[in-house]
Amino acid sequence: MNLVYLSLAPALFAPGIGSRAARPFAPIALLGVATVQAAAAIAVALTVSGTKTIAGGYLTTDATARLFLVLINVLFLGIAAYVWNRARTAPELADAVSQFARLSLVFMGAANLVVLSNHLLAGWIALEATTLAAAPLVVRAGVASSRRASWRYFLFSSVGLAIALTGLACLARGLEESGHSSTFFLHELRTLSGGPPNLWRRLGLVLVVLGYGTKLGLAPMYSWLPETYDEAPPSVTALLAAVQFNCALVCLMRVLQLFRAGDPDLVASELLVLGLLSMAVSTVSIIATRNYKRLIAYASINHAGVIAIGLAIGKSATYGVLLYVVSNAFIKAILFLTAGKIRAHYGTKDTREVAGLIKDLPYSGLFLMVGTFALLGLPPFGSFLGELIILSGLVRAGQVLVFVVFCTLISLTFVATGRTIFPMIWGEPKRDVHWPKQSFLAAAPKLTFLIALVAMGIYMPQPVNALFREVAASLGGE
Amino acid sequence: MTGVLLAFIIVALVPLFVATWRTSLLGLSLQGGLIAWLALRHSATLSFGSALTALDTVGLRALAAPAVLYAAMRALKVPPRNNVIAPNLLSWAIAIGLVVVAFRSSDVLVPPEGEPQMLVAVSGSALVLGMFVLSTAQGTFSQVVGLLRIENAIALFELGGSGHSGALGIRVGMTLILLVSVGLYRWYVLHVPRDDEADSDADTETAVL
Repeated sequence: MNLVYLSLAPALFAPGIGSRAARPFAPIALLGVATVQAAAAIAVALTVSGTKTIAGGYLTTDATARLFLVLINVLFLGIAAYVWNRARTAPELADAVSQFARLSLVFMGAANLVVLSNHLLAGWIALEATTLAAAPLVVRAGVASSRRASWRYFLFSSVGLAIALTGLACLARGLEESGHSSTFFLHELRTLSGGPPNLWRRLGLVLVVLGYGTKLGLAPMYSWLPETYDEAPPSVTALLAAVQFNCALVCLMRVLQLFRAGDPDLVASELLVLGLLSMAVSTVSIIATRNYKRLIAYASINHAGVIAIGLAIGKSATYGVLLYVVSNAFIKAILFLTAGKIRAHYGTKDTREVAGLIKDLPYSGLFLMVGTFALLGLPPFGSFLGELIILSGLVRAGQVLVFVVFCTLISLTFVATGRTIFPMIWGEPKRDVHWPKQSFLAAAPKLTFLIALVAMGIYMPQPVNALFREVAASLGGE
Repeated sequence: MTGVLLAFIIVALVPLFVATWRTSLLGLSLQGGLIAWLALRHSATLSFGSALTALDTVGLRALAAPAVLYAAMRALKVPPRNNVIAPNLLSWAIAIGLVVVAFRSSDVLVPPEGEPQMLVAVSGSALVLGMFVLSTAQGTFSQVVGLLRIENAIALFELGGSGHSGALGIRVGMTLILLVSVGLYRWYVLHVPRDDEADSDADTETAVL
């Protein structure tokens, strides 16, 4: 159990790492803290079983908490390794690395609190804290457009979270209307949230899905996402896309675990509409864009749409949703970190200016290629299996129209992404430039993510599979 | 309580029609004061909980947030006029229409007439007016005002009834979030260029993390 408390420790290291005296050691200290965190998270997942509450009932170690604790800490370790390597190869980034180390540790402390939280409001506060820590990280010194993007991120996040908070207040009011005392503790809500839905509860559910949906980048409130992911440094984009996305998803899943059964049709309809709308707008944007970072950002909106549709269907699709969620966290981390490497070398984000990556930057070319295959949901990656299960869930649920629209949008995304990315990988290099050799060490984090991605599509170890099934069951999955 | 709630809806509406940034800040300050009045009216003795509520409502919402934004606007030498919504009849009609819709919705949500219904009606009105400001505002300052209006509306809904909401730890967390948010609002008002403004500083970036 002490290891669970250790998950909240990163924030304690933040002031020390951010100090001027510690600046030269910030990258290695960040890597060290991230390594300990990831090890602790894995140890918690392996040693704790069942649902236990600690810290006066405010924290839980249920299956959802364990799965996402491991996921976000392993991802953070990869991001920290990337930052350590960037600091090694670009000493002029010392100030930026120091600021990243300080704020990212606060961010991770809050992120761990989100996934471990056994209290809906505490989870909301922790998610808001991740936003407060991440907003300054989006700003790049001397770049006005990044300040604008940071503000847009903060504005939309604040609005989304305000809507979610209003929804939580309405859910509490709904409990009072049903004759229960209002509580936000998950273990208490599990015993109270049954019974017929009332108007407050329905309003609360709609607002919570819309509010947390904004944090996930779901349409209609998605416009912050492409701009923020494009303007933020790659390490921060990876942090937002791979870690914070999953924190927001955990908050949404907690509410669905508790309140969905009372009004399944309402939740399903809202999630289906938001999901299809997100897939549609992202597909159009992917076709139009010539900026590879924005393309990956639009693909993230597309993925959020797929996840929303999978959650809407529930039942047999739930296991697929979880596979898809975990796979996509790794895919986004690989692609955004690779995009950072490409941007650092070519000095542009225009897809037409980058060609022949597989010859110029073999590791980056390989990661972009494999990441794109996984992004498009090709076998043998976990995303393929996840998408397949969601599609089969749609057919089983009799949602034929949604199935047809889903397949059409996915096909269009496939063609548009391939048309833009493949020339970057295999096209003729536009300039005859000899880049410095890429070290294996720099590629190691992304390689680890890649192995995890393939493993999820081919062979899932029994304990991991059992954890996935436990989380799926908590969401009403089969 | 009904009188205070009516006063709240007036201070939420008037700054929409009087288009100066000082009026907007005064409106926010008065909203904070009225929330404090409602939240603390039952607190006969001083406790940690009531002190925290006073810090949140009076300290942050009524004083610190408006003062910090006032200082930022003064530092930027912004002219007095500032439209938080478009200054035309349509916008004003929409604003009043939103209040009417919120009041009608409260009839459905809380059928018996009385103070609880009024609280929901006023909180709902303040919330949708905040959303309306956000959806039409162009500048960072007006968007910050919209956000603070929304936060005040939620605080009114939570604190206006019983005067306290949830465990102390949670309330401390909420107050800290508001405190840091106010600091960030100030930074953004000072440093974020408008969408239609050219970037004031050149791109001096040499490497990206």
